[in-house]
Amino acid sequence: MQSGATPGMSRRSLLTSAAVIAAVPLLDACGSPKEKASGTTGEGDLAKALPAYAASDLVKPDIPVVAGANGASTDPAFLAYPANPPKTVTGQVGKGGTYVTMTPLWGAIPPSSGNAYYDAVNKQLGATVKLQPADGNTYADLLPPLFAADKLPDWINIPTWTMTKLNFGEAVRTKLADLTPYLAGDKIKQYPNLAALSTNAWVAGVWNGKLYGLPIYSSNAVIAGMYYYRKDLFDKAGVSADVKSTADLEAIGKALTNANAGQWAFDDLFGNDAAYICQLFGFPATGYPWTTESGGKLQHRYETEGIVEALNWHAKMVKAGYLHPDAVANNSQNGKQRFWSGKVAVCADGTGAWNGDDAKSGSAAAPGYNRQAFKLFSAKGDKPTVQLGNGAGMYSFLNKKLNDGQIKELLAIANYLAAPYGSAEWLTVNFGTAGTHYTMTDGNPLLTEQGSKEIATTYQFLACPASASTVQSGAVQVTKDAAAWQADMVKYAVKPLFYGMNVSEPSQFSALGGPMNDMITDVKLGRKPISAWTDAVNSWRKQGGDDLRKFYDGIREKYGTGK
Amino acid sequence: MTLTRPAAVTRPATVARPEKQWRIRLRRDRSLLLMTLPAVALLAVFAYAPMFGLVTAFQSYDIYSGFWYSPFVGFDNFERLLTDSIFWHALSNTLVISAVQLVLYFPVPIALALVFNEVTNARIRSFVQSVVYLPHFFSWVLVVTVFQEMLGGAGALNTMLRRHGWATWDIMTNPDAFKYLVTAQAVWKEAGWGIIVFLAALAAIDQNLYEAAAADGAGRWRRLWHITLPGMRGVIMLMLVLRLGNALTVGFEQMLIQRQAVGRDASEVLDTFAYYYGVVNNNFSYGAAAGLFKGVLSLILVLAANKLAHAFGEDGLYRK
Repeated sequence: MQSGATPGMSRRSLLTSAAVIAAVPLLDACGSPKEKASGTTGEGDLAKALPAYAASDLVKPDIPVVAGANGASTDPAFLAYPANPPKTVTGQVGKGGTYVTMTPLWGAIPPSSGNAYYDAVNKQLGATVKLQPADGNTYADLLPPLFAADKLPDWINIPTWTMTKLNFGEAVRTKLADLTPYLAGDKIKQYPNLAALSTNAWVAGVWNGKLYGLPIYSSNAVIAGMYYYRKDLFDKAGVSADVKSTADLEAIGKALTNANAGQWAFDDLFGNDAAYICQLFGFPATGYPWTTESGGKLQHRYETEGIVEALNWHAKMVKAGYLHPDAVANNSQNGKQRFWSGKVAVCADGTGAWNGDDAKSGSAAAPGYNRQAFKLFSAKGDKPTVQLGNGAGMYSFLNKKLNDGQIKELLAIANYLAAPYGSAEWLTVNFGTAGTHYTMTDGNPLLTEQGSKEIATTYQFLACPASASTVQSGAVQVTKDAAAWQADMVKYAVKPLFYGMNVSEPSQFSALGGPMNDMITDVKLGRKPISAWTDAVNSWRKQGGDDLRKFYDGIREKYGTGK
Repeated sequence: MTLTRPAAVTRPATVARPEKQWRIRLRRDRSLLLMTLPAVALLAVFAYAPMFGLVTAFQSYDIYSGFWYSPFVGFDNFERLLTDSIFWHALSNTLVISAVQLVLYFPVPIALALVFNEVTNARIRSFVQSVVYLPHFFSWVLVVTVFQEMLGGAGALNTMLRRHGWATWDIMTNPDAFKYLVTAQAVWKEAGWGIIVFLAALAAIDQNLYEAAAADGAGRWRRLWHITLPGMRGVIMLMLVLRLGNALTVGFEQMLIQRQAVGRDASEVLDTFAYYYGVVNNNFSYGAAAGLFKGVLSLILVLAANKLAHAFGEDGLYRK
């Protein structure tokens, strides 16, 4: 009755095996796989691998950068594009080479042939950079077979969240080009736009003492996300958005839930693997799960009191009926639609959710739409903290098979793509050709119909300047609001243990997290009691959690904690 | 595929010179064998060639070492599998869902076929038939979405209940009812398609038998019991054998899509186990071991079901 693949194999494993089989003859080409590295980089080696920093002061931001705690700082914000954008790159960029690339894309994939935008950018680059965007949602599943088949393109974007699956310490050693000889120290100054990326952004591009990754959308204000609310709905109901604790949030849940009218106060407030709620209850986030107990012993986020409190509190909200039923079904796909249409008034989402395009979509669904974010708060009402993420969430890498000349050509191209906001190059890379792809409206570029069809985030995922808050779809106020929020947030930033160290864990620990994440979902939605969580933590310890702690104890002893 | 087949008679009792016999048969069946070639090629490329990947079940496979360099670990993966409580849970879930489907799903297409057979108006019959076929062509994503929109927490039914101040019915997020939910979805999606083979079996029944029985005074139920059902028995047995052989395959996408709504405990089946603990965790060897284990069990089930069919005097899948 069910469409079955071959007994014994799911369709996915079938495809994977087929790809793997195709790869077999090629695997002989790579180095001996016996010597496997699991480890990280010590401070001294890190300093040797990192490029020097040379700031660019090409365009003055309209809202200046604000420095926060622990190295955090806001992104520069611009309210209008300079009338006469200066050029940052002079002379020939590429040398006429042809390169295949791969980048993730969340959205419609633009036409690859006859795309005037690609042609225009490639003409400026003086090389043929072939863009092959792949579906961002399945990108993580696409990469392992690609590595196994040794079919990597010349230049590839790899998001940091896919790296644990790739056993990345091994990936950089066997498949990706070491950029240390080209970029370390002052060598980067041949590429001034790359040199303008902050030092912190390069840190997580270093693996086992060598620099491999070019940071994408780097920022010193990377956090998992925040709690958003619909200001228009709050105002209409006369509810204050001055939230200082989870008790305040609970009161909002009561005030804004009206299930009979199809309106609920909350969407899921937890996030996958506690990505968002960890900020409220002060336990570590997914990427850097370790903290220290009072005695100095390493403690995993699963073992903290904070996650227990978070689970209890969220289950209580579910039981009270404050969550939208689709959120209770853990359906996150339509989360944005629920927020736009006003079926929920509060949601947790990433920092990227707050922009002009969102305001456009929201206003289309509900006139008066106004997205705002609660100022940082903690569950108990004391001083909040927020865990700083890597200086970039994605890195791009060059193939190890490229020769010296090709690597230099691609770095020159990367330098062009990394031209800062406000430059002539930035306009070309992001908006194509004036008149064809965009027109200047109220001081900001606005895509034409052809522009919307042909332009997607593609080149930017290969190399790009540091993040800047810019005006999208003419929504100037959104840029101002988001910048003000960020300026408040950076005051509370903290760096987690092992920050930016790219620790390669031995592969036997990769399976530990899956069952725990399933359990979190069950308990946060009230499907299972909190005792099930404590049991799961105990078996997590036995099945490898304690060994993982020992492994990290060793790293701490040998390399420090990256702080 | 009628009641009896004189298989034993057509087969030569003793073969004097096997080699010559083989050639004669080859020449005689030449065109039939040619016709099977595309299917054989398809199986070879998409079913047999990937089976080489099963070697990973006995390795500690990693993507940088590949088949050639990954170390062999013998039956380690299987040992781990058999002591993994999550695996046993997935197996028991699979068997329970399979049993529920056998009882609640399997008879539905047969009953539907019998009903259709009674409809004499050709236009009504082809219209209703088209309507019940249609869901077969929907993807699982669509089917689950339709169920979600109708029966989900914010779906049509519950919105209506809420408006009237009545209690809501949370069938889509109830882990205990999940096995019935997936069976209901399977019935909605596939039962219409499933009747095709039974309708064919019905068409093959000699109409004279009905006339003769009617002339002897047999009513509708007696004809059903003594002519129609015995006439379908061979096909029903065949479908049952196939179903038992597939007992460990209860759907992959359907479980994957609804996993978040009911949790792992209710929705983990062998296929999703192999996916999550193999592919997602980058532990291909473990996933391959789980898959191979399932494949071997399925093979045993097919052989056993086939034997059972023979015991009932039916052909089943094949006869030696």
